[in-house]
Amino acid sequence: MKILIVNNMAPFVWGGAEELAVHLQRNLILAGHQAEVLRIPFQWEPANQIPSQMMLVRAMELSNVDRVIALKFPAYLIRHPHKTLWLLHQYRQAYDLLDAGQSNLPVGEEGEQIRRAIVAADGESFKETRRIFTNSDVTRKRLAQYNGFKATVLLPPLNDPEFFSGEDPQNYIFAGGRVNEMKRQHLLVEAMVHAPKTTQLVVAGPPDSPEDAARLHALVEKFGLQDRVTLDLRFLPRQVYSAYVNGASAVAYLPFDEDSLGYVAMEAATAGKALITTTDSGGILGLVKHESTGWVAEPTPPALADALAKLCNNKPQTREWGTAARALWLGMGITWPKTVEALLS
Amino acid sequence: MKVALVSSFVPFVNGGYRNIVEWLEHYLLEHGHQVERVYLPHVDGPENLLTQMSAYRWVDLGAADRVICFRPPAHVIEHSCKVLWFIHHIRPFYDLWDSPYRGFPDDVRHRALRDILHSTDTAAMQEAKSIFTNSQIVGRRLKKFNGIDSEVLYPPVFQSERFSCRGFNDEVVYICRLEHHKRQHLLIEAMRYTKTPVRLRVCGSGSGNGYSRELQLLVVKHNLKDKVVIEDNWITEEHKVNLLAHCLAAAYLPVDEDSYGYPSLEAFHSAKPVLTATDSGGVLELVQHEKNGLVCSPTPLALAQALDRLYEDRADCQRMGNTASTSVDALGISWPHAVNRLLA
Repeated sequence: MKILIVNNMAPFVWGGAEELAVHLQRNLILAGHQAEVLRIPFQWEPANQIPSQMMLVRAMELSNVDRVIALKFPAYLIRHPHKTLWLLHQYRQAYDLLDAGQSNLPVGEEGEQIRRAIVAADGESFKETRRIFTNSDVTRKRLAQYNGFKATVLLPPLNDPEFFSGEDPQNYIFAGGRVNEMKRQHLLVEAMVHAPKTTQLVVAGPPDSPEDAARLHALVEKFGLQDRVTLDLRFLPRQVYSAYVNGASAVAYLPFDEDSLGYVAMEAATAGKALITTTDSGGILGLVKHESTGWVAEPTPPALADALAKLCNNKPQTREWGTAARALWLGMGITWPKTVEALLS
Repeated sequence: MKVALVSSFVPFVNGGYRNIVEWLEHYLLEHGHQVERVYLPHVDGPENLLTQMSAYRWVDLGAADRVICFRPPAHVIEHSCKVLWFIHHIRPFYDLWDSPYRGFPDDVRHRALRDILHSTDTAAMQEAKSIFTNSQIVGRRLKKFNGIDSEVLYPPVFQSERFSCRGFNDEVVYICRLEHHKRQHLLIEAMRYTKTPVRLRVCGSGSGNGYSRELQLLVVKHNLKDKVVIEDNWITEEHKVNLLAHCLAAAYLPVDEDSYGYPSLEAFHSAKPVLTATDSGGVLELVQHEKNGLVCSPTPLALAQALDRLYEDRADCQRMGNTASTSVDALGISWPHAVNRLLA
């Protein structure tokens, strides 16, 4: 089958959704299909241009394509008789972010007209779609709440599970992923002040801004934690990143209210590592079961210090929880072959 | 510099129209630029032609410092620094109007559509900072139909340094997709009339329309299997380089092609003369008779004589091949030159 993956393009920006589209393409090809990615430029500023950008997608004609798998607004507005949605994003600034007062739509009648156009186009597009999958339960709920459409959750699999074989733990807790205030690596650094002196922490990943990196360095300096906290704040090649995960005694990941299971947690579970997260981390709690696959702490430095102490002091138990985390993750059966099968069902 | 390369495309259809974009991307990245490749769908034909063009007009590539537009209707994109590397019009509304390839009636409706397309194209071209074409033929059409001046910028091949000459065997090679308008059949027919032991090798994939089978049958029918080899598949780049390095000469004789075609350019990079026909169009911008190749009538007899001549006078073959490799430089066909002009 000739399958076209349709995604947005923010020109000169490459991120998670772009990676997902490429891996979907790769896995469709592995499953014996022809697959290509169409990326349609989308510029949401100024907001009064959004309607013309929706129309441009709607006006495009496709030929020589058996199926479309569309991922984002407004790319999913594209017309095709056999369209499946794997919804990563609606235009949240017309929905939940608008309700939260975080929208770029102009206040007043003009903004309201744009909002109505988005909702109407979404409704029309969802109606003509064969099946709708979402990348998380949060996305599914939003779709039901705001548009009244049902969908099936299809969590994105790991793209390169072979990197996360797991190895004998060396003596450190690892905190990976993008570094910013929402991911709260600073809480872990502060927790290290209260944690046993034998505990080591490694924070590694790309900072969103130079300020995000500076903040962590300043904390380490302030508390004199240079000997026990390693900061490797940069974009890490997969080999380097996976080596950190594979050698850790446990992995900590405490984003605020994340939509999905989180790649960091999925990778740690694949490597058989116990997990540390916080009560308000949202989707991550799907993988972190307190005292079974890891430790769920209150999002405060003293509570996290307790977690670090627990996992460092009782090594056999930490290993056991890691094994349980791997079993829980593998039991979910989230793999590319199954994902491709669902998307084509 | 942030450069967006924009072209229309048909999903799952590869070919020269993608090569020019993707090879340029490679060289721009090598020169340290940021590149975003934007392929947008387009379906040929008069239905929805204008709607589809509007879609292109609404595309916002303001994040780019410069956009380079290739296959139509990419050129209608609005951008303050727009450069066109124009490879063809939507031809049924232009040079193919009075031909069997138009595919719709010559009536009031379609004439009106043609007029709108011509004026829209012209207006979009007038917005461009500079306009390049891939051949003199396309340049002349721009002048004739749109009144637009342009500069010829011949598309180079990818990594031309891969090609070299390592001798002259007895074989003329024709490496190209198997298509009726590329006329591999003429060359096979010509092999019936050759008097020397010259051989022919035809390589390329067919598009499933039966032409490749037709060629095979032709070989059987005229009992040419000792002199003609057909490799009916997409050969590897390595194999192609090797065949060109050792062959006697290369052949490329499409009917009235717009551009010189990569097969002739690859032969020239391998210092081999090219055998072509008087009606092959853009190929004649590159191949000059008895200078860097042979240009003969598109008949089996004339081609047979040319094949014999290549076999009998190897010294002349070598002389023409040497001239061929200098022709490439004389015409400024290189990626550094192309990048330089497109970013000027």
